[in-house]
Amino acid sequence: MKTVTLAALVLLGGLFPAACTGGREAGRGIAGTITLPEAGSPFIAFDIWVKVGSQNDPAGKEGLAALTARLLADGSTRTDRYQQILEKLYPMAASYGASVDKEMTVFRGVVHRDNLEPYYTLLRNALLEPAFSEEDFARVKAQVMNYLERGRRFQRDEELSKELLYWMAYRGTAYEHPEEGYVKSVESITLDDVKDFYRKFYLRNNIVVGVGGGYPDGFVARVRRDFDALPEGEVAPVAAPHPKMTDGVKVLIVEKQTDATAISMGFPIPLLRSDSDYVAMMLVNSWFGEHRNSFSHLYQVIRERRGMNYGDYSYIEPFPRGYTTQERPVNYDRRSNLFEIWIRPVSRMSADDLHDRALFATRAAWRELKKVVDEGLPPDQVERTRRFLHNFSVTYGSTVLRRLAYRIDDAFYAMPDPGYLGMIRPELAKLTPEKVKAAIDRNLQADDMWVVYITADAEGMKKKLLSGAPTYIRYAGKPPAEIRAEDDEITHLPIPVGEDDIRIMDISEVFETGS
Amino acid sequence: MKKLSALALLVLTALAAAPPTGAQEAKGIFPFEFKRVDLDNGFRAYLIKAGAPGQIAYVSMVRTGARDEVEPGRTGYAHFFEHMMFRGTKKYPNYDGVTEKIGAARNAFTSNDMTVFYLVAASEYLERIMDLESDRFQNLDYSEQGFRTEAGAVLGEYQNGAYSPFSVLDRAVRETAFRKHTYRHQTIGFEADVRAMPEGYAYSRSFFRRFYRPENVVLVIAGDFDFDRATSLIHKYYDGWQPGYQAPAVPAEPEQTAPRYRTVKYQGRTLPLLSFNWKAPAWNPTDRLAVATEVLGKVAFGTNSDIYRKLVIEQRRVQFLQEGFELQRDPTVVSLTAQVTDPSDVDAVKSEIMEAVARARDRLFDAKVLADTKSAMKYGFLMGLETAQSVAFSLIQPVIDTGTIEAVDDYYRTLETLTPEDIRDAARAILVDRGLTLVTLEQAERGS
Repeated sequence: MKTVTLAALVLLGGLFPAACTGGREAGRGIAGTITLPEAGSPFIAFDIWVKVGSQNDPAGKEGLAALTARLLADGSTRTDRYQQILEKLYPMAASYGASVDKEMTVFRGVVHRDNLEPYYTLLRNALLEPAFSEEDFARVKAQVMNYLERGRRFQRDEELSKELLYWMAYRGTAYEHPEEGYVKSVESITLDDVKDFYRKFYLRNNIVVGVGGGYPDGFVARVRRDFDALPEGEVAPVAAPHPKMTDGVKVLIVEKQTDATAISMGFPIPLLRSDSDYVAMMLVNSWFGEHRNSFSHLYQVIRERRGMNYGDYSYIEPFPRGYTTQERPVNYDRRSNLFEIWIRPVSRMSADDLHDRALFATRAAWRELKKVVDEGLPPDQVERTRRFLHNFSVTYGSTVLRRLAYRIDDAFYAMPDPGYLGMIRPELAKLTPEKVKAAIDRNLQADDMWVVYITADAEGMKKKLLSGAPTYIRYAGKPPAEIRAEDDEITHLPIPVGEDDIRIMDISEVFETGS
Repeated sequence: MKKLSALALLVLTALAAAPPTGAQEAKGIFPFEFKRVDLDNGFRAYLIKAGAPGQIAYVSMVRTGARDEVEPGRTGYAHFFEHMMFRGTKKYPNYDGVTEKIGAARNAFTSNDMTVFYLVAASEYLERIMDLESDRFQNLDYSEQGFRTEAGAVLGEYQNGAYSPFSVLDRAVRETAFRKHTYRHQTIGFEADVRAMPEGYAYSRSFFRRFYRPENVVLVIAGDFDFDRATSLIHKYYDGWQPGYQAPAVPAEPEQTAPRYRTVKYQGRTLPLLSFNWKAPAWNPTDRLAVATEVLGKVAFGTNSDIYRKLVIEQRRVQFLQEGFELQRDPTVVSLTAQVTDPSDVDAVKSEIMEAVARARDRLFDAKVLADTKSAMKYGFLMGLETAQSVAFSLIQPVIDTGTIEAVDDYYRTLETLTPEDIRDAARAILVDRGLTLVTLEQAERGS
């Protein structure tokens, strides 16, 4: 198998190949910057990394990091009112936005080189000279509150079930609360809280400036000088989360009026991108549940052969809002991950089968996980998936912004050269079925699991779970004999839960407070 | 099921003779080298040099979507059929297995007017992909059992977002604004029709026979590949495809003569949503009114408009204000959606918006506003031209609505000539009460 250099990979991804090489070296030339020069490109991408995330939210003010970033991205500066900023951005068709995860905040935008100067001025002012106006704060907070009180609970059950899975798995750690916070905690946040948070964390030594694309000579140094105007300061480190493995199966059932059940399940894994097991687990996960790809094994079992729902996938790193995109997210770097199974909403087919079908899908996924844990992947499947990823991974860095963001990720994980995008192919080439099995043994198991359901009649669901009764599904046609034989095994698969293992919550209570 | 924005299209044309890396104004020339291939059976392909070295985007655009679902009880079949296209042929029974081997990123989507299938892969796989794609478009073969199973997946897709207030609102708007035309139903179909799909095997075969024909499909290949070789491959793999497209009789929507108002109660929690919709013409690159209508949405209701500034930024009486003035293949509605912060303020917000609508009919927008809007469109397009896939996708609307990509030049010429008077004329023609459908979605008593 041929190995490729990082430069080649980068070239494959974008329209405007880099005219000069050594972006990483250049990036290291100026402290506090990460650069990706692609001189032929008409675009300039910014990925400005502030080393603060929801883990830094004070107790009772969960959501403060996210609200702060949003106010900076959607607020006035000391030079321009918010509406003037919109007016200036409009003819450029450009914008900037913030993304806040557990560990990091990133301000991101792309501009055509014709508009670099006026755009950069706006972006710089937004981050370095925010006005913190009461009007902007009221507008942004009201929008967030609307999302927390209504949108999060009523727009996408499948996304909510994922957030609840993380909430359960990380109880008692700095990763516990959703990045946007709780209804009550955000309600309590004042403009002074935001200003304090900004002063505490938006420090020159706490920000890494990422710039990529066709920027002019000297530009990066200038940007860095601008950011160096921020004060320096100490940021107290946050202890890495060490989530406890659940003892057995723990279930959360959220009661909601619906005709379909959203399902998420998972458990903590000791795996980071920088670990030696990572590419082996990337392969295992790709075979088992590659995001929104129909050859994912789970997809084949639950959707392709049985038509139970729209798709079934698994993850070894966070993948928020996966329903909107097939592209892997960038800049969701964490010091702890879950192995996560996403079973998309399973619809009722008749008046009485909503829970039977949800439990059947759970059992089917669980059974497949057990098989992988016990048996590993057959050599031909390792080979097949290796070949797929060898080709498919080239699409990860499709745009200059994505390539730049991967470099930021590399910095977070202190990835050695050639970085994440460059290491996938050579590391895949080194894998053997034995190495893959060893990685499975170190990372996966099928006994301890957090499970979330969002469904109607939660009490009925609980009773059904506790009864251990088999849960059959009916088919619109007559399935082949081997499917029916497999179904017999699935329906009887035990889900070992007791009364104390199941918690029921009404949708109106979800993420109301941190308790 | 995404709708490609007309914005992308507008700007495409604005690029004109500029090299792909520049933003200079020039006219009438698509920025990338391209070639058109027409076969005797009506099949058309565009070959475009764009994107990264060593990659291609292979995009098959079928000019059939939910609008073509004219038979009662059969809504949702264009989308359902998109799913069935992945269920294999006699030659390649396992479509997914082949695309997996070449590591292609591939998917498809369906909307009102189109079904689009795409793969992004290394250029070396061009023939493999053409073999695979031409085969399934001509020789799709699936069992009734496979069909019934897939129907379950489609129901699952229906459920993914069916309870969101925005989905509920969209259904209400369509059913209120359209009485005859097939834009009345969402692309996913009416729920009852989706639930009845397992029994529709024979109908699905007729769908394939009537619509998956060479005269109704345009192929766009963008990327790094040799045009001559691709041309001979197109002959090799598509020449034998038998024509036989049967255009459906899509019913024309009768002219609306009076405003329509409807209130919908939402069973979950939501702030009130207001959806203003006005009847509008079909997308037409040479029609001043059609092009001016799309521009009108931005200048009158976009992020730079007076009403946006007042309601969103200054008074904060709405959570958002979103215009949707992109036109479609058939006459449609253009829309303006707002979410009201205080439920008791709904009527007052309605009045504010209707006053802004009246002002748009009376005033002449500043020439600078129009120029800024054209600039926004140009750069919006330029920023989207980064990958082979995004270049191919930027051509979807002209292909679907006219069968050609050359239509973009006409569109650009029309856009360039628009004056503030044209925008006012569009407001006077479109933003009229007799063409209005106003749907209000409110939370039921106490949302659960």
